[in-house]
Amino acid sequence: MTEKITFGRVVRSEWTKLRSLRSTWIILGATALLTIGLAGAIGRGEAMSVHGGEPAPSVADAVSAAFLPIDFFVLVIGVFGVLQMSGEYGTGLIRATLTAVPRRLPVLGAKALVQVAVTGPVMAMVSLASFLVCQAFLGDGGASLSDPGVPGAIVGAAACPVIMGLLGLGIGTMVRHTAGAITTLAAGLLIAPVLLGPVLPGDREDDIMKYVPTIAGQAMYSVDGGGGPFETLSPGASTAVLVGWAVLMLAGGAAVLRRRDA
Amino acid sequence: MIEALALTKRFGTTLAVDELSFTVRPGQVTGFLGPNGAGKSTTMRMIVGLDRPTAGTATVNGRPYRDHAAPLRQVGALLEAKSVHKGRTARSHLLALAQTHGIPASRVDHVLAMVGLASAAGRRAGGFSLGMGQRLGIAAALLGDPAAVILDEPVNGLDPDGVLWVRNLLKGLAAEGRTVLVSSHLMSEMAVTAEHLVIIGRGRLLADTTVEELIARVAVGNVLVRTPHGTDLRDLLAHHAATVTAVEPGLLQVGGLSAEKIGDLALGGGLALHELTPRRASLEEAYMELTREAVEYR
Repeated sequence: MTEKITFGRVVRSEWTKLRSLRSTWIILGATALLTIGLAGAIGRGEAMSVHGGEPAPSVADAVSAAFLPIDFFVLVIGVFGVLQMSGEYGTGLIRATLTAVPRRLPVLGAKALVQVAVTGPVMAMVSLASFLVCQAFLGDGGASLSDPGVPGAIVGAAACPVIMGLLGLGIGTMVRHTAGAITTLAAGLLIAPVLLGPVLPGDREDDIMKYVPTIAGQAMYSVDGGGGPFETLSPGASTAVLVGWAVLMLAGGAAVLRRRDA
Repeated sequence: MIEALALTKRFGTTLAVDELSFTVRPGQVTGFLGPNGAGKSTTMRMIVGLDRPTAGTATVNGRPYRDHAAPLRQVGALLEAKSVHKGRTARSHLLALAQTHGIPASRVDHVLAMVGLASAAGRRAGGFSLGMGQRLGIAAALLGDPAAVILDEPVNGLDPDGVLWVRNLLKGLAAEGRTVLVSSHLMSEMAVTAEHLVIIGRGRLLADTTVEELIARVAVGNVLVRTPHGTDLRDLLAHHAATVTAVEPGLLQVGGLSAEKIGDLALGGGLALHELTPRRASLEEAYMELTREAVEYR
């Protein structure tokens, strides 16, 4: 086995980096526990409302209740993605990394791959568990796996944070500084949707808001794309929109990584 | 072999490295010297591809660093400041770097033992002292068993034992036929470690020479002369364009003339000499002389 750089080896290296940091498992573990826990708490609250005489939620409402915590943890996974690269710049590790892999782009590719390989299974488990725990509290009034649109929403709730993580990785690679990159991410995900609504003329709002990452992301884990304050695309089209955002950010990150001095 | 050819780096309006050309040959320790901000670190970063030259090229064994299939086998680099994630153990840090090249984990343990960190391998790098961090950086540089090593201020933060260890390590690496380029501010350390010197100031090459040649060429050595005829001898030597200063009554420090010449002149003048001692300048004095202008104009 000759000693030279291959993409597979860079992937192994990035896997070692990811798993050897305690913060990786703390962030993912806390995200999993809190997301599932909150889904349960929301299910319990809904069940008590129903018990108190309110009508049972529709399938769409029962699903959106289960995935309400995902709205927030999408941001956490996005920050996790930012840190994968900005953490290297912050600690100076990037100098060692890019000296080992001077062609640079394989590092970004390997980070993206490893990040998906780790966040994918975790979020799939979190998504399914969130749904089941929430519906367990709702009992007969809740949605079931066999309801139309439900399996798709569960897949969407798993995929949305994973794609947001990649979007974060792209921003982290472009901006480099952790604080600046997280601010950029938060501004894009939280503030832009709030400010964009009032800024846009009413008739354009519905045309544009569905392409905002947060709105598209939320549509991915709804039953029919509806339910929110804005008109949205179908879950499938929304997935394509969010993937587009992630690809755009990663491409921007790749351009900066390749061209700028480390 | 490391070669820089008209290497130039501009940051905005500042010319950090200005058409710098030099060759670092294998088998000897080459000291890389210059005042703060002379462009040493930038040059080293360009050699390993962290900074992109504005113009010119830097090659390692005939090719740009990034074009090698196994760059860590070509150059091991220790650049200024720590380049380690604080949360990772020393071993995980090195393992991740090794894995990019398929370097076996046994090599990681080997270099950890080489730098004296075997017992700290499982500790997180955030808790390392400056000296331990420096040793970890050197371990990373040695990971690929490289043909060349580039070390920026390697003795920074090391205790006297560590300084001696680095000195012997560098000499050992050179004796094995490797190319060794090392920067330092400590002239006394360079004087005993390096054989060859590349000196830069304000991004330009000031000297590419051996330690011996530099001292002989640049430094004004002087001669200590003890004589009972201090005043007469001073007048006599001053006539021959020497610079003479009286250190104490009967003891003169003479610059600009060789000991032989002073002896001959004294004999011709009928003046007795009780001591005639040539004093060789130190590397530090030679360096100061050479870089004085480069520092002044900054």
